Amino acid sequence: MIAVVRSELYRLSTTRSNALSLAIFSGLGVALGTIGADFWALLAGVGAFGFGVTGISQHYQHRTAVLLYLARPRRILVLLAQLVTAVIVSVGFTAVSGAVVLIQGDRDRYLITLVVAPIMAVLGAAAAAIARSATFLFVGFAAWILFVEAMYGKLQQPLPFSAYLDAASGDIHKLVILLGWTLATVVGAIVAIRRDLNGD
Amino acid sequence: MIELIELTKSYGRVRAVNEVTFSAVPGRVTGFLGLNGSGKTTTLRMLLGLTRPTAGAALINKVRFQELSHPARQVGAVLEQGISHPGQSGRAHLTTQALLTGADRARVDLLLEQVGLGDAAEQRCGDYSLGMRQRLAVATALLGDPSVLILDEPANGLDPEGMAWLRELLREHARNGGTVLISSHLLAELAQLIDDVVIISEGTVRYAAPLAELYGSTAARLRIRGRDPQRLWQAFEEAGATVEGDGYALEVFGLTPEDAGDIAFAAGVAIYELATDAPNLEQIFLDLVSAG
Repeated sequence: MIAVVRSELYRLSTTRSNALSLAIFSGLGVALGTIGADFWALLAGVGAFGFGVTGISQHYQHRTAVLLYLARPRRILVLLAQLVTAVIVSVGFTAVSGAVVLIQGDRDRYLITLVVAPIMAVLGAAAAAIARSATFLFVGFAAWILFVEAMYGKLQQPLPFSAYLDAASGDIHKLVILLGWTLATVVGAIVAIRRDLNGD
Repeated sequence: MIELIELTKSYGRVRAVNEVTFSAVPGRVTGFLGLNGSGKTTTLRMLLGLTRPTAGAALINKVRFQELSHPARQVGAVLEQGISHPGQSGRAHLTTQALLTGADRARVDLLLEQVGLGDAAEQRCGDYSLGMRQRLAVATALLGDPSVLILDEPANGLDPEGMAWLRELLREHARNGGTVLISSHLLAELAQLIDDVVIISEGTVRYAAPLAELYGSTAARLRIRGRDPQRLWQAFEEAGATVEGDGYALEVFGLTPEDAGDIAFAAGVAIYELATDAPNLEQIFLDLVSAG
């Protein structure tokens, strides 16, 4: 599993688009941190989700999942390693992008978000292992938030993104709900990862 | 050693691969021939654990691919026209794979040189030509120094020089005791490379045997041109041969070149041309496929 994590981190660091998007989102996080901790926490969650999604979906987009499974045929271990990678990347991203929030003295908010945002990364990565398409996920995620969580649920229902927003503010009950959604998605991913890897 | 035992893949009612059975043995190059859509790629994907078989077994060194302890050190595979992340350089791609497989990172630069990509090591894979991507895919397959190589249409995109390079590389691998299974629809190219042949059509194996045996099963043809074609024709037929003519030269079946020369000499007809037409793998293949 360590080999997969090392390989994934190396791949992310040597792929220009990944390194660039990580730098841009970190810079954006720093900028939003100067406006307010809530804005930064929102970006941290969305960013972590996005990095979780792209970390896995790129393997399907560019067909490198084939190489991954040829080298490591035990797919569940590969998935777990990818989830660990998503956590590592999102912790790094959240820690760096929240530097201003920490310096401004909102230490509790910084630490809570540092714990909760990686859960969004795991949620995103697991969802990507099921959907295998970043475009499908991002469009679906945006529609879900807009129509289901915001318009229908008023961001108050026990749904993933609504739960994240409250969990990032220190609501333990919502944190448990977010963990529940994430665990369910991971279980779905463990089942879905066994699907055939077909050609182009 | 590769063994496929009644390997079957169904999609609903459609049998894409139907009870495919054959072996590829060490020290030999086995060609897996079939038209597009005949089931070659699906078979190889089942062999490599990427697609689950409906029935049957695919074994590499006596175990299923998923059960190999270090797959990359035992099996190298080239699939899908050179897979790599377009944003990574060739060197970064191979280093990623080395980290993933546990291969020695020192092999990265050696392999880049070996496949002729030393000067393009820092170039993004997205800027590589198809031939360069195929070379990188071969380097990726060789990273773990495996004994078994499985290649799906590896010649696609390679120029004649690249094809000659690949041919020599695979022959060398087999000479060193490795097992090579290569699929292709470029039959003329494969004919120069393979020792054994497996022909698949509509998901079913039509023929599996040494290439020499396949050639031996077809009648050798002589092309003969002489001063008196009528007399030659008659002499060959009297010797039991089957003769056809195109008005310019005779096509003779059932005689060796030595016999044909002796018969012409005995008949007193001067020979201007006597050539053996090598069996045409493409024609044999098409005959087998259409017979199926």
